[in-house]
Amino acid sequence: MKKIILIFGVLSLLVFIRPLLGMNASSETTTITTATTNQSVDSNEDKTFVSEAVGGIKQFYHFTGFANAQSGNLIMILIGVIFIYLGIKFDYEPLLLIPIGLGVLIGNIPFLPGYETGIYEEGSVLNFLYFGVVKGIYPPLIFLGIGAMTDFSSLIANPKLMLLGAAAQVGVFVTFLGALYLGFNLPEAGAIGIIGGADGPTAIFLSSKLANGINILPDGTTVKNLIGPVAIAAYSYMALIPVIQPPIMRLLTTKKERLIRMKPPRAVSQKEKMIFPVVALLLTTFISPSAIPLLGMLFFGNLLKESGKTERLADTARTKLIDIVTILLGVTVGASTQADIFLTKDSMLIFGLGAISFVIATTGGLLFAKFMNLFLKGDEKINPLIGAAGVSAVPNSARVVHAEGLKADPHNYLIMHAMAPNVAGVIGSAIAAGIVLSFLG
Amino acid sequence: MTHIFLLTNDLSEGYVILVTGLTIVFGGLLILTLFFKYALPIMLYIYKIISKGRDKKIKEISPKLNEQFTGEIAAAISAAIHLHLNEQHDNENAILTIKQARKMYSPWSSKIYGVYNKR
Repeated sequence: MKKIILIFGVLSLLVFIRPLLGMNASSETTTITTATTNQSVDSNEDKTFVSEAVGGIKQFYHFTGFANAQSGNLIMILIGVIFIYLGIKFDYEPLLLIPIGLGVLIGNIPFLPGYETGIYEEGSVLNFLYFGVVKGIYPPLIFLGIGAMTDFSSLIANPKLMLLGAAAQVGVFVTFLGALYLGFNLPEAGAIGIIGGADGPTAIFLSSKLANGINILPDGTTVKNLIGPVAIAAYSYMALIPVIQPPIMRLLTTKKERLIRMKPPRAVSQKEKMIFPVVALLLTTFISPSAIPLLGMLFFGNLLKESGKTERLADTARTKLIDIVTILLGVTVGASTQADIFLTKDSMLIFGLGAISFVIATTGGLLFAKFMNLFLKGDEKINPLIGAAGVSAVPNSARVVHAEGLKADPHNYLIMHAMAPNVAGVIGSAIAAGIVLSFLG
Repeated sequence: MTHIFLLTNDLSEGYVILVTGLTIVFGGLLILTLFFKYALPIMLYIYKIISKGRDKKIKEISPKLNEQFTGEIAAAISAAIHLHLNEQHDNENAILTIKQARKMYSPWSSKIYGVYNKR
């Protein structure tokens, strides 16, 4: 930690000594003038070598990050470093936070605009990689890998837990309403609401379709580009699930409820596992066709895994492919947080709404689990803690539920039960995204 | 993609989306639940009946093909089935593997020192 502070001290010192050097750069105009003076320097042969060298250095200085740095850049770099620190030190979803954290650093290195450097500059390399985010290409590919990783057997064994995944989607729609109240227009509110689905790829997919800064509203205004804030909010709250959920879980459940032991799920035959992706694909996409890119890929990946004949493809989807896409997605989403676009009042509001949406989603799942218990008898009763896993965020929230269950009773293993609402939450949030898209797309 | 602009007011449309959206999500997952709880077991049962086919009648089985199949074998198989079905025989692991035991090298067990070093 000391070292990080030291590095920052040096960086900020370098920025602040800028006025002392008499090179108070105020972006492009100065450079242009220096460029023109340099031309005159070339023509004027009387100039000494030293003054020419100093002029060259001055010009070079205007291209460096120190000359172009603004306070926003430094704040974002600090956030990036915190992300990396959280990922490494506390193991909060390091596979996401580390690429995103470094992406934030990449995106916030101050540079002189107009040289195809930044992620938002047409033709820059980062802009090409960002294409997959803007056009919603990466999320379905991630879903393919998730499908090839996920075992739906606990859900097939106990289908009623599917409803918990639906209950947690209340977070999506309530946040949507909250965003409308705060003055966002409909498509923007839709993109913000999906943070409550606690599913990074879905959030990126929906925001890239609704709030991409390209679509034009009926009243002629262009929607804001909220992909960066929404994605960062979704991913950072997903990483913070172990912090957000436990207090709500303890608040809304009694000690007695937390001690409920559920009977172990029955064994599921291979035939059922093979039928699941096909049937679930047909049923869900017939209901919400806009979610086809997400659900289609999810169940395609799952069929690759369960068919037993395409192990090679499933293996690639759940290892190499998802790794590649995660790398590209993480870095580009991180880099999209360029301070001048990211550090706005809207982003702050989105972060606030995101936190609330996670709380509402968790509450929805927990309360619905308690509600279901009213109708269930004997060993059919469910431990209401698993309701909290309905907020997708696979498999983090299931793990949190498991840990919380173990705290109440060291011999109550809830992980298998919690996986059912967890994967149902993925399906649920994808359906919800599809519905929002069909209403507002 | 359908454009459903039901109401001009953003907020009231928000409420419409809230209610219909939640209903559709619940409805969708409820259908999935019901399918996997009730319809799938029935489907699997029907499939089982269809795929099993009818049993062979005794006169269709040619005795010439089964000359090797003596009464002793039949008795052994039926005894095994009887034991298995009544759980009178414990299940054993059918895979028998002798794992190669590797001795870690140590100067204390070294053959070289024992054979050649005459001190």
